[in-house]
Amino acid sequence: MEDLAESAIAHAIKVGAEFADLRMESTIGTNIVVMDGRTKSLTALRESGCGVRAFIGGAWGFAVTNSLTRQALKQAATSAVGMAKVAQAKAKTKFQIREIKAVRATERYPCKTRPSDVPMEDKVSFVMSLDKAMSRKDPRITSTNAKYDDAEIERVVANSFGSLVLSKEVWALGACSAFARTEGVMQRGHAAFGSVGGYELMGTNQAAMLGDQAAAQALRLLESKPVPAGNFTVVLDSKMSGMLAHEAFGHACEADAIISSSSVLDGRVGQKVADKRISLIDDPTIVNTFGYFSIDWEGVRAKKHVLIENGVLKGYMHNIETSSRMGVEPNGAARAQAYSGTPIIRMSNTYIGKGDRKKDELISDLREGLLIQGAQYGYVEPAKGQFMFKCDEAHHIRKGEIGQRYRDASISGLILEVLNNVEAVGNDFMLGDPGYCGKGGQSARTTDGGPHLCIANMVVGGLA
Amino acid sequence: MGDLTELARKAVDIVLKLGPSDCDVIISDSRFVSAEIEKGSMKQSSAIADPGVGIRVFVKGCSGYSYCTGFDPATVKEVARAAVAQARAGTEDPDFKGLPERQKIGKVEGMYDPRISKLRPDDIVEAAIQLADTAGGDRRITSVNASVGVGTGQVVLANSNGIVATQKMTGFELSAEAVSKSGNDMFSGVDGWWSRRFEPKMSDSIGKNAREHAIMGLKSTKIETGDYPVILDPLAAGFVLGMAIGGGVNAESVQRKRSYLTEKLGSTIGSDVFSVTDDPTLKWASGSYSFDGEGVPGKRKKIVDKGVLRMFIHDSYTAGKEGRMSTGNSSRGGSVWSYRRPPSISPSNLVISSGDSSVDEMLAETKNGVYLRLTYDYPNLVTGEFSGLMMESYRISKGELGPSIRQATIGTHLVAMYKNVDLVGKSSRFVFGVKTPAIRISKAKVGGST
Repeated sequence: MEDLAESAIAHAIKVGAEFADLRMESTIGTNIVVMDGRTKSLTALRESGCGVRAFIGGAWGFAVTNSLTRQALKQAATSAVGMAKVAQAKAKTKFQIREIKAVRATERYPCKTRPSDVPMEDKVSFVMSLDKAMSRKDPRITSTNAKYDDAEIERVVANSFGSLVLSKEVWALGACSAFARTEGVMQRGHAAFGSVGGYELMGTNQAAMLGDQAAAQALRLLESKPVPAGNFTVVLDSKMSGMLAHEAFGHACEADAIISSSSVLDGRVGQKVADKRISLIDDPTIVNTFGYFSIDWEGVRAKKHVLIENGVLKGYMHNIETSSRMGVEPNGAARAQAYSGTPIIRMSNTYIGKGDRKKDELISDLREGLLIQGAQYGYVEPAKGQFMFKCDEAHHIRKGEIGQRYRDASISGLILEVLNNVEAVGNDFMLGDPGYCGKGGQSARTTDGGPHLCIANMVVGGLA
Repeated sequence: MGDLTELARKAVDIVLKLGPSDCDVIISDSRFVSAEIEKGSMKQSSAIADPGVGIRVFVKGCSGYSYCTGFDPATVKEVARAAVAQARAGTEDPDFKGLPERQKIGKVEGMYDPRISKLRPDDIVEAAIQLADTAGGDRRITSVNASVGVGTGQVVLANSNGIVATQKMTGFELSAEAVSKSGNDMFSGVDGWWSRRFEPKMSDSIGKNAREHAIMGLKSTKIETGDYPVILDPLAAGFVLGMAIGGGVNAESVQRKRSYLTEKLGSTIGSDVFSVTDDPTLKWASGSYSFDGEGVPGKRKKIVDKGVLRMFIHDSYTAGKEGRMSTGNSSRGGSVWSYRRPPSISPSNLVISSGDSSVDEMLAETKNGVYLRLTYDYPNLVTGEFSGLMMESYRISKGELGPSIRQATIGTHLVAMYKNVDLVGKSSRFVFGVKTPAIRISKAKVGGST
């Protein structure tokens, strides 16, 4: 693969690219879905292909082939350069890609047991055990979903600066959804566990407990009420403070949003954007996490990205284009979902740093508010400066005591206000569940986390 | 297409020789060309070729699926073996009653626009520039991001009951985001267009909408928490109803009692002005097909008729479980089909029946309310509860559209929302797979920041 990659890059330069890179991949993987005690679908995937990107004077061309022959790669390189020429002819903004030091490396993700070495029957048996753990928990569990995914990806990243990186990526993920029902009320609980790594992950206690956790949550939610809508002081648990870090701030710190003037954080580096107790980090180099990588999809070594330090915006996450245009060093934040997508700036493991208060004090000190726990999903429009995320569960807090359980609370706020409304930062810390972040039609594996946080003036959406 | 048809037949034969009696094969040969504009400047032009084969096999009712990129016959053989091995590793499922039998497939007009396959990259780039120029046509717009994409696909579907069917499909997409700035305040207006036909002239209205809403949104206000009448712009109605109705009537969810519409068949779930059909025969609509992802002919169906829930949507598995025929709602995803996932139940094009009110009349009849143009929130399809951020919304005072509302949420139960539909617009547009007019809900909970 390496030889094919370098000859395709050489051809792209020969036919007119100022800079060229490619991602060539060969992937195998498994997906197992068990519903209500029976296998619903078992999928084995086998993909290979290559995406070639060519740059000329301020514009990119991109071409994808599913064939890994020398001829097909040459054609893709020619096509990418042709597309770049078409785009460059109409580009109003001209810029260059600044040369960076070539990286030649082989990156092997930690893995004890390759998923492809595990018999399908064993994987099915594991997923069936998760499903059974849910259904046997309580007769009120009326429907169950257990799921397992793994992937082994061999990726070559090559570019015309001489970088050549071979990555052997492997990850595994288990997830459960339990549906509980009583007297016409239905609720869903879910749990997920996974990381980069091999099938050994599914032999851990965390994986074994997924079914029980999902079922317990669904049963708890049967006792909940719709959350009241309004303006509240909230205590966010680690999963929710992680989602706040990701949605409320992380996306607005992606330098492609800055370049396109689509982020309210444009021009604010060095300015105070948060309470001084707040630090916000994105760090792909944390091992044994779902957001881990050590070299990005442009062949740049990944770094810990300090986005906010003591409340001050320190910088953005970059790819080689944004770093060239903004005159800074690239910091290895580019990823593509697969060879068929261009690498774009993505978060990895995003978190808020620890504070100095015991998490129990955050609750006991609150006269009136909500405890918000567990992250479902969230989104942001950095240009509008608004974000939203949805929790699994919420509880009323009155005079420091936890009371009524609520469900389906959506929390929204303004990027430039929310972290200035922080009232207390816990001294606990946890990275939350593995998840996927969607952007530009591509998804990327991520993890979020942080301490418990107390924040005033959050808008809570609900039905009551 | 002849070679691909032969490859599909051969793949079915390979599976049958390995022992299983039920299988289907999808072969898809698709190409996509797109152009993206960033901050008003042409940024990237892309060409993606994506040929591949997907094989689904049933052994004692258990489904195994495997796919590969490309059409190499030796790899297809390996994929067939892998799919059989997957199916054998699973559990027995007596609810599987078999794949669809051959049926006569009618012609659906407006599936394929031959102009799209003849377009050069320059044509797509020109269309993107036209879109961006329109969206940026105001001094208050500081940045425009836009994209135009086209896709062409040829699909062959074959199964073990003798179905061998082919269809060609095209897709066209426009999207624009205009960013406005005034002092420290910033807002963005977005819009998009989806069709099977090349319609570059839509750039004018899509670009104009993005530009005008970016500017409208700059003037902002806040709102007090309370119950308000809410007019849903087609953009918001399409996003919410596509999931709320499309997901709620999925027979798989209903049979497993995971849908808020379980046990509601024949019941009144909406007002008498709320009617919904599923129509895969809609000319040039991006979800149209002559046959579904299992080879069942596409046909128009009433889902909700004057507020009464009339049917759920099925594929062959859920239909077989109830001893009925599939409704032809097995999806292979997107306007141009993919081989990468096994088929699943989905609506084709949902159509919300239009009414007799203009948007101006709806506004005039709303003294103190909210106009919701955009939300990206998902309803909870298990409980039927919906709460989310009003990403772009406007205050309605004394029947007139006012400033944009910042940091406010909307909450309602979906059935209450359908029952509270009291005004329906007379002109519709196609957004997020749903053809819908603007609709007014007489009451929803708005969570404000004051």
